[in-house]
Amino acid sequence: MSGPVLMLFAYMALFMLFITLPIAAVVVISFSDSSFIAFPITGLSLKWYRHIVEYQPFVTSLATSIELALASTVLGAVLGVPAALALARSRRALAGVVANLLLAPLSVPAIVLGFALLYFLSALSFGLSFGALLIAHTVAGIPYIVRTVLATYRALPRDLEECASILGATRGQVLWHLTLPMVRPGIFAGGMFAVLTSLDNLPLSFFFGTATTNTLPVVMLSYMENQFDPSIAAISTVQMLIAVSCLFVLDRIYGVERLTAV
Amino acid sequence: MSAQPAYRLAAPNWCLPVLLFMAFFFVIPLAANLLRTQSPGTGPFFYYIKLLTDPYYAGVLWETLKVGLITTFATLLVGYPVAFFMVRFAGRWNALIVFFVIAPLLTSIIMRTFGWRVLLARRGLLNTWLLDWGLISRPQNIADDPIAVYIGLVHVLVPFMVLSIAAVLQGVDVSLEESARMLGAGRLRTFLHVTLPLSMDGIATGCILVFVVTNGSFLTMLLLGGGKIKTLALLIYQQFNTTQDVAFAAAMGNILMLVAAICFALQFHLLRHRGVKT
Repeated sequence: MSGPVLMLFAYMALFMLFITLPIAAVVVISFSDSSFIAFPITGLSLKWYRHIVEYQPFVTSLATSIELALASTVLGAVLGVPAALALARSRRALAGVVANLLLAPLSVPAIVLGFALLYFLSALSFGLSFGALLIAHTVAGIPYIVRTVLATYRALPRDLEECASILGATRGQVLWHLTLPMVRPGIFAGGMFAVLTSLDNLPLSFFFGTATTNTLPVVMLSYMENQFDPSIAAISTVQMLIAVSCLFVLDRIYGVERLTAV
Repeated sequence: MSAQPAYRLAAPNWCLPVLLFMAFFFVIPLAANLLRTQSPGTGPFFYYIKLLTDPYYAGVLWETLKVGLITTFATLLVGYPVAFFMVRFAGRWNALIVFFVIAPLLTSIIMRTFGWRVLLARRGLLNTWLLDWGLISRPQNIADDPIAVYIGLVHVLVPFMVLSIAAVLQGVDVSLEESARMLGAGRLRTFLHVTLPLSMDGIATGCILVFVVTNGSFLTMLLLGGGKIKTLALLIYQQFNTTQDVAFAAAMGNILMLVAAICFALQFHLLRHRGVKT
């Protein structure tokens, strides 16, 4: 290997260190046996994991977060997938406008969307509730689902559906037995992005939280403002493990490498 | 007989439910935000004028743009070599590198800032290393410093930059670089005159994305900045939490939206101009 190439490999090693070090530090601290934050740690223990299981707000808010992520993604898919199927094969100019509208929430800062939705929903006396959270997270999740389903469906040959209909399949049968199974990887991939974004969407969630409907990141933020102990590290590690397992499922269904070819 | 129109499974009205949903919960709330910028006794442009002319708020606006530009440039510098490596050298290790690159996106914002606070603290790992190598003589608390904000932002935004550039670099024919080398151009010259210009679309997409996301971020500034970096998004958060000045917060939100809209119009224009598929 020549000099510049060797330098590039060395740079990659440094880059990997930069990416992983802060994450690894938190994972290590979560196994600490001391009651204050120190790195490197002095001894190993699982007591902070026991602490987060016993600390009720963490458990309930994690349940709320997962429920919210799944519910908003399912709602987003029910609304978004039919629209994506219609838009993918349309050549009208209006279809382009509609597609852009459905992708637009990606470009709106979450804090602005959350703020605007809070005052709008409050005017409908609907402001602080699980329903408001669900609406906000669904708006934020729809673009991910629409984007991947559009791309997946456009890449499929169009004559298969035509063959099925010529052979006597009804619209419902074509949709259920042919189209949906074919675009399923796209639905899963987009849905997975929507779930992952929803799980950590603090800027959107903190507007709508009440004592009973707080999501995990909101609870973590307020915990951190009062206490600074390794239990934050433990719950962070749990949350990361959930996200990593989602990614492995996604990789099996869709292929992580295809992320570079968006 | 005229040609049959191609079979279409989905009818246009399959878009109606999502359109109603988005009209009601996305378009109308944001439009209402445009009208919310007036409090009793002030003109419609009172808060916009205040934002642009009051030295404090004009400073915040300027700082927002400054943080956005510095972060974008730093992310480009850090990310470009990674994208280049992935496309030209990674080969079958590509999936593993993609996993590393997007790792920050799998962690919560709390986890990342927590990690950086630990590493950058006065008695943290970075200070220990710098002391050992003799680069500094006494430990510094970097955790509550603008530099920590930039480190935290680059860490989480570099995946967007790397993926945007890698997507475009993948389409650049290696033989163009090889031809330049064979015709006598050095590595640096080949890079500056062949590779870099051909990857401009990826750079533009990545930079605009990173800039817009930075403008909307406030948690990194809140948790790592120690109050030393004040941006528009952070101010919205503080207005909401403390003073509850709705009209003022709405006006600031509208300015953020305007900046985002300008950026995406720019991107649309650039991509169309170059005739690149989006």
